[in-house]
Amino acid sequence: MSAAALDRQIKPIYDALDTGSNKSAIVACNKLLKKHPKNELVKSLKALALIRSQKVEESLVLCDEVLETKPTDDAVLTAMMHVLRGLGRHNDLVTMFEDAFKKQPTNEELGQQTFFANVRANHWKSAHQIATRMYKQFQEERYLYWSVISAVLQAKDANTPPTMRPILYKLAHRLIASSPTPSYVNAERFHLHLSILRELELWEEADKLIESDVGKSICSTSLACDEIRRAIMIQQGRYQQEAKRAEQLITEKKDRNWLEFLAVLDGTLPDTTPLIIGEADAREKVNHAQEIFSKIAEEDSTKDRSGLLALLDLEKRARLHGLSQEPTRMVSLLKQYFEKFGDKACCFEDLKPFVILDAESLSILRTFLEAIPTAFTTISELRRLINSFKLIRYTLSESEITAEKELIRVAAYARYTDYLASAPALALEHYRAMHIKQVQNDTLSHLILSRASTFSLGSIGDLTLLTECLESTQIYLSNTQETGDFIARAFQSEKYSQIPEFIVFEERLDNSLQRDTVKLEHIRMRIAHEPVTNDLIDMELIELKFIFDREHSDNRDFDILPNYQPKASKDLNEQTLLFGKPEGSKWLSCFLKVYIRGFQQASDIDDTVEEKLLIGDRPKKTAKYENGLTLKERLMQRGPEDFADLTEDEAKFIEYMNALIDWLEPYHNYARPPPDVVLAEAAKQTELKTGHPLKGVEVPTTNGHHKKDEEPPTIMDAPEVVVKYFDGVKERLPEAMKSSPSELLHVATLAQEAFLLLVAVTLRFKSPSVVKINKLSGLVPIFKTLRTNALSVLQSISAELVLRGKADGSSDTRNALISNCSPILTPQIDHDFLFINAKKIGDSRRKVLDGIGNGITRIRAAYSA
Amino acid sequence: MSVLRPFKATDMFKFNNINLDIWTETYGIGFYLSYLARWPDLCCVQAAPSGRLMGYVLGKAEGAGPEWHGHVTAITVAPEYRRLSLAHKMMTLLEMVSERIYQGFFVDLYVRCANIVAIEMYEKMGYSVYRRVREYYGTLGVGKGGKDEEDAFDMRKPLPRDTARRSVRANGRDIVVPATDVS
Repeated sequence: MSAAALDRQIKPIYDALDTGSNKSAIVACNKLLKKHPKNELVKSLKALALIRSQKVEESLVLCDEVLETKPTDDAVLTAMMHVLRGLGRHNDLVTMFEDAFKKQPTNEELGQQTFFANVRANHWKSAHQIATRMYKQFQEERYLYWSVISAVLQAKDANTPPTMRPILYKLAHRLIASSPTPSYVNAERFHLHLSILRELELWEEADKLIESDVGKSICSTSLACDEIRRAIMIQQGRYQQEAKRAEQLITEKKDRNWLEFLAVLDGTLPDTTPLIIGEADAREKVNHAQEIFSKIAEEDSTKDRSGLLALLDLEKRARLHGLSQEPTRMVSLLKQYFEKFGDKACCFEDLKPFVILDAESLSILRTFLEAIPTAFTTISELRRLINSFKLIRYTLSESEITAEKELIRVAAYARYTDYLASAPALALEHYRAMHIKQVQNDTLSHLILSRASTFSLGSIGDLTLLTECLESTQIYLSNTQETGDFIARAFQSEKYSQIPEFIVFEERLDNSLQRDTVKLEHIRMRIAHEPVTNDLIDMELIELKFIFDREHSDNRDFDILPNYQPKASKDLNEQTLLFGKPEGSKWLSCFLKVYIRGFQQASDIDDTVEEKLLIGDRPKKTAKYENGLTLKERLMQRGPEDFADLTEDEAKFIEYMNALIDWLEPYHNYARPPPDVVLAEAAKQTELKTGHPLKGVEVPTTNGHHKKDEEPPTIMDAPEVVVKYFDGVKERLPEAMKSSPSELLHVATLAQEAFLLLVAVTLRFKSPSVVKINKLSGLVPIFKTLRTNALSVLQSISAELVLRGKADGSSDTRNALISNCSPILTPQIDHDFLFINAKKIGDSRRKVLDGIGNGITRIRAAYSA
Repeated sequence: MSVLRPFKATDMFKFNNINLDIWTETYGIGFYLSYLARWPDLCCVQAAPSGRLMGYVLGKAEGAGPEWHGHVTAITVAPEYRRLSLAHKMMTLLEMVSERIYQGFFVDLYVRCANIVAIEMYEKMGYSVYRRVREYYGTLGVGKGGKDEEDAFDMRKPLPRDTARRSVRANGRDIVVPATDVS
């Protein structure tokens, strides 16, 4: 067949892949492979279609076959790039391109691909070398700059030893200085140059660039360059020079960027003590600044807030240094500001930092604010009134707060009250109304998914919250798939200022605390929804181990809730935390440790086996590895501060789990089949599935059971903490019944989880033959007692939940809820509205209490056999 | 009191107070990154001294020959920071960069024909209607605003390079083009 005819036949494969018809792509590939069994392109396309159909093992075989041929064909490389990315094998991707580029060193496109493959895998040193080679080969200045920024990025990489950093910056500096055209030909190169000089503190050279005409021109049109220029000035302590420049911009160019006002303020008085200059000198400066700002405030009037705010800031600084001349100046400035900008929505936020008043001034301010007319006819008047309320509330003292009626429980805080009212269905409805999407899933899903397993009805087949978890994590997939491409694009278009920013963004999203918190929460829900099997345990274990050592980045947005709480009280977020304890990295680490250790016990896949079976790149070694501890040791690290973020019930749960796992450790280690047996089994399964043997695994010839040399460990009784755990829950129950439904559910779902994990860690010993061969039959009655007791406690919990559900969903409770509503609010709220919402809350509570209660019954039935 | 600074990729973690407003769309991360990877100088934010974001603008440079211009893709201010001329300040920057860095002939933007408040604001800033683009915002059916809801005005402001002032036409509102002509 001619090449053209073959091309014609390959086209439908691409079409099928493009439209997601992976099955027909595979069929088409198979047909062609019959005639052309060695065709690399068809093989790689089939590998791609297989991956997209989740047939990883089969894909691997083809993938390795193609890689062995060291392809150079563009189409093959592109297809393989997608295959390897899909498999997470970035390191192999690098090797593939490097081999190809070696074979065709004059192929510029290939050079770029090789460079980007290294960038994607964060191999900065190789990226640097390739760029250097490309610069020599193709004589394009762009590649010189690529080599420069690769050195900078290597210096910035967390894994680069600190001693290497200055060397790398010096290298970058030498290279950028060697450029035939100066860096100021465009703002982005100029930015890169300045950032290197700043890092090396080469001030003289930096000044020369900044103060040149072209440098000045660039900084006046590029915010990014101006930002770095400002940083260079401040690092040199040139406040006076900056103040002078800023003053000119403010007065002559009418620049109203607050950064310029800050420059004038910083040049006048620092916002921290001590003051270095003499008092007389300082007073003169204050007078001068006052003069400028007053003039601007007058000129701008209501058009711009900067002048007046600068006066307020100046007074704050003057007070700090004991230079304020008039005790009531702050309050009179506050009043002035309110007069002019009291009708702006942000007035309250603007003034908050300046409400630092003595008793006399405070009373002046209050009198002033209380005189704001409460009647209004325009939006402007209404805003003014609202701002006055916010400010008055902000100035309340602690004793006044208790006396003041808490007005939070109104619509604006619906989500929180929903959860507080233990009506998760309503909370979810409210959350969905916010139309959270894309990256907001990372920053805002904590509002609904924090400790969401408490409310999950997965045990009765309701997947709502499990689905919510999965949906919220789509964004991390997009990040992995897309962000790297944009980093490459930024290289192509030489936007050097963006490259480090994109990398930080990608890493923060990839290592998001929320991502892994949701992952854990999903597992907690999953074990209640699905039978706890070895497959589930093996899969989840590998994923959990991947995330355990991540340096987490907390991207959660807590500022989205407006905070109008008094200065003397906690902010709204703190006041409305579920169970009063924040979730954070400590919380996550505690739970991860018990889950990983528990699943490790239950699983046959130990580190040796995993090393052989796992495909793709391993997690990056983070700083956590540096103290030289093994994973096992890191998992065992415990400290009293670990418990800080746990509720009391969670702390008991973790204690129970730790004791349980410590106790069972020797029995598992004894009974777990040795790695070669596990691998042989895995190889057998793979061969059955794909028809190919498992690569790199030698199947031992000995079959059958492994003879043990050592005696089995002595059977010990279960530790006290484990034996008494469920009784403790039972004792806790009456108290929880009296508390909010959320708390009751918290107690109930933790007990459920404790039972399910007991099932998981004793799974191995369910098989009578395992127990017999390992001579561990002494454990069986202990397990039986533990389980029987747990099941009986769960039974009482379940019954109580259903009862409570009936009570909370009844019309009596609803009426009580309505009559309990604040008398301040009720006259202004329609009775139907109150009734409907009270009914919704009642129904939602009943649903969740009933659901969890019945779910426990189902779990009991499933595991009591 | 607002800090004008470049839009950074990590600002996506902080723009919720702006984007939760129903009129502001949150796009996939690729959308923001594609702008930053090509026109970072036409993308900026306004932030309060506390760091809280107040608003942002995303722009690009496009067009061939005498149509070469700066385009405002998205401009938005959080509800709590409206009526402070923040949009004006961001537009001024975008116009300055379009003029001095990109040497464009004009700056343009699209606005719903029904959005009278915005149209008047842009007019005050020196923009005028150049043409009406039919069904630019998709067909909404006959709603409250009818055609004005789904049609867009392409508004333009000439930059010094447009010496012949080709980007200004007195009868711009009467010149109607289909959406396919512009996208």
